[in-house]
Amino acid sequence: MSAAVPGSLVQGATMLATSTASTTPIPSWGAVGVSLLLVLVAVAIAWRQQLGISREIVVAAARALVQLVAIGAVLAWLFAHAGIAGALAWVFAMTFVAANESRRRGRGLPHAFRSALLGIIVGTVATLGVLVVGGVISTEPQVLIPIGGMVVSGAMQASSLALTSLHRSAVENRPAVEAALSLGLPARQAFASELRTAVRTALVPTVDQTRVVGLISLPGTMTGLIIAGVDPLQAIRYQIIVMYMLLAAWAVSALVTARAAEGALFDDAQRLVPVAA
Amino acid sequence: MPTPPLTPELFALEDVTLEIGGRRILDRLDAHLHDGVATAIAGPSGSGKSTLLRLLNRLADPTSGRVIFRGRDVRDLDVLDLRRRAVLVPQRAVALTGDVAAEVRVAAPALADADVSALLSRVMLEPGDYLGRDPHSLSGGELQRLCLARALAVAPECLLLDEPTSALDPRSADAVDDVIRSLVGDGLAVVLVSHDVRRAAAVAQNVLILHEGRVTARGPSSDLDLEHELLMPPHDGHEHDADDPRAHDGDRHRSHGHDEQDEHDDPKETP
Repeated sequence: MSAAVPGSLVQGATMLATSTASTTPIPSWGAVGVSLLLVLVAVAIAWRQQLGISREIVVAAARALVQLVAIGAVLAWLFAHAGIAGALAWVFAMTFVAANESRRRGRGLPHAFRSALLGIIVGTVATLGVLVVGGVISTEPQVLIPIGGMVVSGAMQASSLALTSLHRSAVENRPAVEAALSLGLPARQAFASELRTAVRTALVPTVDQTRVVGLISLPGTMTGLIIAGVDPLQAIRYQIIVMYMLLAAWAVSALVTARAAEGALFDDAQRLVPVAA
Repeated sequence: MPTPPLTPELFALEDVTLEIGGRRILDRLDAHLHDGVATAIAGPSGSGKSTLLRLLNRLADPTSGRVIFRGRDVRDLDVLDLRRRAVLVPQRAVALTGDVAAEVRVAAPALADADVSALLSRVMLEPGDYLGRDPHSLSGGELQRLCLARALAVAPECLLLDEPTSALDPRSADAVDDVIRSLVGDGLAVVLVSHDVRRAAAVAQNVLILHEGRVTARGPSSDLDLEHELLMPPHDGHEHDADDPRAHDGDRHRSHGHDEQDEHDDPKETP
């Protein structure tokens, strides 16, 4: 297993968290049991107000418990035994799961899964690559896997939004695209404004999130470090990196997914192929 | 309208069939469209006339048969070059930019200001009144004429117009028709699709009438009894060709004279 990059922000944050973890109480399973009361509160409200979702709340809470226990166990094993190859394999597997989820948003578009997968993989590799090569994060599984998860998740959301927008464009703006094609414009030029709209639409959430970070809510990474006992002024360094990392992941994934989907939308004769509404 | 002189062939459709999802849209269709004149393709909704137009600049390809442009199969031509030589103006006039001059320059970005003004004048939009305006603020007729200017900007050899007046009030439609007549008068070839055969015939020298994907009548607009032809349902392999001397004998409106090839090859006519 490779060591943390000497002097990296991650190494600093990890050391800080480790050094203070003993002073920060970690909830026991008993405490988790107590928190179940909060689920009962939600169920009681649903039952009392006859919302008809009491059962759904119970199932969701149970699923969350089971899923998190399972993933905790898997991660513990991965951190102990996987090494860098295992960590990368895990992140790679996550890209497939993410692409499959993203594909649903582009249902009707040809080769939506392939486009999403390409976008998510390129966005993830580019972002993680810069962070690793730049010495910002280490290649330890306990760093690569959670950071990779954040990147893949962001890439997936960007990819989904891009596909949703492109699908809408291909259906609703077909007359405009065909009007441009009819003038002899190449497909890429005829579709340029639709592509711009898709990428812009995909980037809006992360740009908004980046703009208001810390003002409306404390983001997850920073919150986790603070709870683990890290000084807030040091925790924000990690958060800044995460925000910038996500900006890049969203932008690269949105653009690559949109370009790949655009390629599949036109045939060899530069015609917009039929797209199911 | 006098019978137009024979001009060089612009497009030829040879035994063209087009099927989409198992449905036959065009059925073994043969047609010849000539240069320097306006040809109207008329027929009821669903007759395949707009689809036929899309074949001419490869927005669609036939399932079988060939589309020939100036003697060459369109599939052998560079598709972007073909579309600039035979520009299709879709039925729904759509603005692609937020400025009239930019709209004219969509496919001809290097066009000089004077040329933009000249093109606007050519489609009877006074440049002084329209330059600087947002195309989305124009009326349907004005936008249709702007779309014609946008198409003319690439200096096409032929305009393919899909129902250019169908969404317009009579006055706006007349203005668009005047522009089309003027362009044809300048020697530009126009292929015009319309469900309004009388309006189309008033603009076009030649008319082709489609029913259920088949040509049921063709000829100079002055020689055809258009209303009658349009109302007549198709018969197997039967077509009225106003240029065919047999059409003038006996059955004036519906001869049994199909294209030579069809007479021999159409399996429906083979005993």
